Amino acid sequence: MRIFKSWRYPASWKFFRLDDRLLLMLMAVIVGLCSGLAALALNRSLIAMFNWLHKYHHIWWAFVLPGIGAALSSLFLEKVVVEGAGHGVPEVIYSVSRYGGLLRFRSSYSRLISSCLTIGSGGSAGPEAPVVMSGAAIGSNIAKYFSLNDRQRVTLVGCGAAGAISSIFNAPIAGMVFSIEVILGEWKSVNIVPIAIAAVAGTEISRILQGNQIVFSHLQFNIDLLDIFACLGLAILTAVASIVLTRMLRSMYGISHKISAPIWVRAAVGGCAVGIIGLFLPVVLGEGYHAVQAMIGGTFSQGLALVAIATLAKVVATALTLGWGGSGGIFAPCLVIGSLAGLTYHHCLILLWPSISWVNEGCFALLGMAGLISGMLQAPLTGIFLIVEITGGYEVILPLIIVSAISTSLCHYIEPASFYLKELVERGHLLRPGTDARVLSDLNVREIIEEDCITVKQNMLLRDFINIIKISPRNYFPVEDEKTNNFLGIIHLDDIRAYLFNPDMYDAVVLGQIMDTKVDVVHPDDDLSEVLRKMDAHQLFSMPVVSNNKFLGLISKATILDQYRKELVVQTSQ
Amino acid sequence: MKLTIHEIAQSLYLPLGTVRRWIRQGRIPIHKSGNGFVFNEAILSKWAAAHHLTFSPPKKSPEKQQDPELETLSSALKRGGVFYDIKGDDGASTLKAAVEHINVLDSHAKEKLYQRLLERENLTSTGIGKGVAIPHPHNPLPDADFRPFITTCFLEKPIEFAALDNKPVFVMFILLCPSVKSHLYLLSRLAFCIRDDSFVEFLKTFPSSDRLLLKIADFEEQLDRADRY
Repeated sequence: MRIFKSWRYPASWKFFRLDDRLLLMLMAVIVGLCSGLAALALNRSLIAMFNWLHKYHHIWWAFVLPGIGAALSSLFLEKVVVEGAGHGVPEVIYSVSRYGGLLRFRSSYSRLISSCLTIGSGGSAGPEAPVVMSGAAIGSNIAKYFSLNDRQRVTLVGCGAAGAISSIFNAPIAGMVFSIEVILGEWKSVNIVPIAIAAVAGTEISRILQGNQIVFSHLQFNIDLLDIFACLGLAILTAVASIVLTRMLRSMYGISHKISAPIWVRAAVGGCAVGIIGLFLPVVLGEGYHAVQAMIGGTFSQGLALVAIATLAKVVATALTLGWGGSGGIFAPCLVIGSLAGLTYHHCLILLWPSISWVNEGCFALLGMAGLISGMLQAPLTGIFLIVEITGGYEVILPLIIVSAISTSLCHYIEPASFYLKELVERGHLLRPGTDARVLSDLNVREIIEEDCITVKQNMLLRDFINIIKISPRNYFPVEDEKTNNFLGIIHLDDIRAYLFNPDMYDAVVLGQIMDTKVDVVHPDDDLSEVLRKMDAHQLFSMPVVSNNKFLGLISKATILDQYRKELVVQTSQ
Repeated sequence: MKLTIHEIAQSLYLPLGTVRRWIRQGRIPIHKSGNGFVFNEAILSKWAAAHHLTFSPPKKSPEKQQDPELETLSSALKRGGVFYDIKGDDGASTLKAAVEHINVLDSHAKEKLYQRLLERENLTSTGIGKGVAIPHPHNPLPDADFRPFITTCFLEKPIEFAALDNKPVFVMFILLCPSVKSHLYLLSRLAFCIRDDSFVEFLKTFPSSDRLLLKIADFEEQLDRADRY
């Protein structure tokens, strides 16, 4: 009977209590399957929606379709589920670092529906970030259901993200690497094993339901040394494209937010603009996997000028969709822009050196994808493994690594924070494990307050105060009002030492006269980093903690160091 | 082992909030169960050692490990005893005679104490003025296994002791403590009494042991009142 009662608390079973790794692996399978299913559901509904709308595409007013889709999706997010716009990955990263991976249940489906509306109707965005968000939310809620603790929940959030990416791309290693490199930001075996298992589970469910197919299959490439040198140029081109895309997204976001219209109107305007571009260049519409397939297969027969324009158009369309309020990720647009950039580069090479026999254009498209993914996410491993897995092209690994590495480094030089982390860094919300910011955000004033100060009254004579100094363990004496017990000021022994040895003063001075009233105080809910900044600015070693005019205790640098070290040790071990 | 969160925080010497947060974050091998917290003692102490923390679980039978009560002045004086008409012409011979009266120590210890007292006197005189001296060794005696005591010695005739105010000394309080802390404590209390001129006048009447102790108890009561404030 007890087994049935306690099945929701597996962490307290004796079997799992000694070491929770086994428990996490078990949970990882469940989370991987669920998030894999969520990813498949989005994929299937995108295809269904695409087919349903396909027959309307030749009508002249088809350009409003992306507008309607984007408007509906932003209305859904704004009014129905009340969640912020955007792709959701920064929210997941923030939740992992600040709230132990706590995510709302509705996040597990909200982005799926909204991004399905945006992308299915033709908006230029990707389904990957939404499935990452929902996979992460599924992991978080499964952990909550089984009452797991924060550390275990964070691992399951990573499992969810890994399962979703693995399932949608049929790429287990890419899912695992993405989850660890981007979402969690720490490589520890205690995380890696469950995440790898979840990635495998997500991949398996996708293979069972969709068959084991490589997303973008391609021809055999024969890469010469000259091609590898040519990669350097491609890496620079993709880095430039990443920067342009990042800047464009941000400026579009800024422009749209200056317009004082309801959010769904903005989304509709952006969507219609995308639709108009799509009338001339249909390649920009939707997530664009067909175009990527065509480019890698070498069947994308367009001239240099057209490909270059398409590259720019895709950048603009993506910025219009996402910056103006549509819902979706940048993964798929990155792949499209990357392959278009690769194709452009290939055409340029042929134009400049027509006599050299370059490797075919599919290879450059593939390398371009890797360059753009690495540049945007600034996660080189994710770029390399993703491309290797979704193209099945292990023979391109060498130029792939070169392009990824160079593109990441260049982008990092110009934009120090990646697209996902930029917002977080600007708000100071990027709290990777084991960093100073993380330790300070975990500790709070209430934990390091010292309450052994002796408080004194304002009308006490110095003579009586001497007796209190005798028995006090501290050099600080907060002064309170006689009637209200409100905090008035503080006496520091260093400041009054001169009077202490002058007996003539003993009956002539009351504490109200010698206390320091212009004292910086700390509120118990203050951020510790803020408190430390104040201490540094005024060269203080101790500050009184005051709430509601009442003195609560003292906070001192020595105790902060003590607790800081303990926290750091506990956080970074395991 | 099952304890309340307060007991766990106490045995780890950590703030309550930190322990609660670590349990929630899963950083510490403790599980919540009902309204208590369960842990395996061996695993937790191993964990604590690995993280530079101290863990000492509360004892089953709580032994009172309070600080040994500080000796009061009266009881130390009583233990040391009061002696009159100590003979001697100078500091050294008087000290020698005085040490002989200390019946708490055996002869070997007496000799050692005498050497130590002389060493201390050579540093600076312990004659604190008003005809009173408080001879004591510079450091506590090694392998000291005794309770603190003060032996009061009234001299046959006042002697020169190189006191601070150059007045001849007529009474000695030989102060011997096993620890620095109790030494300072008793010394400060004794000094408090001697600062009072009426007490010195009282001493000049060579009071009997009982009267002296009564007077001292009186002073101590004043001091205790001030400390309690």
